[in-house]
Amino acid sequence: MTGPARRYFDEIEIGEEYESPGRTVTEADIVLFAGLSGDYNIIHTDAEFMKSSIFGERIAHGLLGLSIQAGLLTRAMQPYATIAFAGLRWKFKGPIKIGDTIRVRGKVLAKKETSKPDRGLVTLGRTVVNQRDEVVQEGETDLMVERRRTA
Amino acid sequence: MSGTASSPPRTYFEDVEVGSEHETPAMTVTQAHVSLYSGVTDDQAAGLGLAPELLALCLSTGLGWRIARPPLVVLAFMSIDWKIERPLRVGDTIRSRSRTALKRAMRDSGVVIEEHEIVDQHDAVLQHGRFTFLVAKRAVA
Repeated sequence: MTGPARRYFDEIEIGEEYESPGRTVTEADIVLFAGLSGDYNIIHTDAEFMKSSIFGERIAHGLLGLSIQAGLLTRAMQPYATIAFAGLRWKFKGPIKIGDTIRVRGKVLAKKETSKPDRGLVTLGRTVVNQRDEVVQEGETDLMVERRRTA
Repeated sequence: MSGTASSPPRTYFEDVEVGSEHETPAMTVTQAHVSLYSGVTDDQAAGLGLAPELLALCLSTGLGWRIARPPLVVLAFMSIDWKIERPLRVGDTIRSRSRTALKRAMRDSGVVIEEHEIVDQHDAVLQHGRFTFLVAKRAVA
């Protein structure tokens, strides 16, 4: 089983950009995610209650959007030689409603060497937009990536 | 609007106490969780026996509804600042501990910041950070 070659810390350049395909978020996605996570908050599960809310209807879990963009972006880029997902700083800026089609744009914001010579930290900025190009989520993720050579 | 016969008690902004701490029940992360999660999100595990890191975060939010405090009336999840210290493995039994760090009133609602940590069966911290929520105030009669 050979996938696409993984890219090392040394090969990744600051400013590189990626754009994912779109994905339509469905009612089924939200129902499955509620069942999986156990987060049955009425904002995700009670259509009648939500008619009178500021959103007017059920909205997707913020973490569902976060998880879907993680999957989407991996389809848009050659994989990194990632050792670990180290952290994230993330803002939920607007609702994802049933039927919305989201995509994610990624950009390499920073690279940082660490105390260990075999790895470095790559900070990837991510912007999740809907079909109207409105930003629904955005933030940064830190990935620990293997270094190919040590000088 | 709480405490009537038809609506169970809920925690509004006014009820939130800074410094209060909660611990969720535990849950064993299984391959079924990983398969369902990866099927819905297309976010994949980094390797055999591992679970996607975000799965722990997703499961912890569900566990958060099972603490002794009545559910917080969350209007919106605003932001998250999160660090991952150790990999999540299939078979790990995780639970979450939280502490209310800050509350700030706004006109119609309020902002609540909670510190969370997800620990495994050895009490090792796998992931930790801060959640910021927009929480409803009690409706004024």
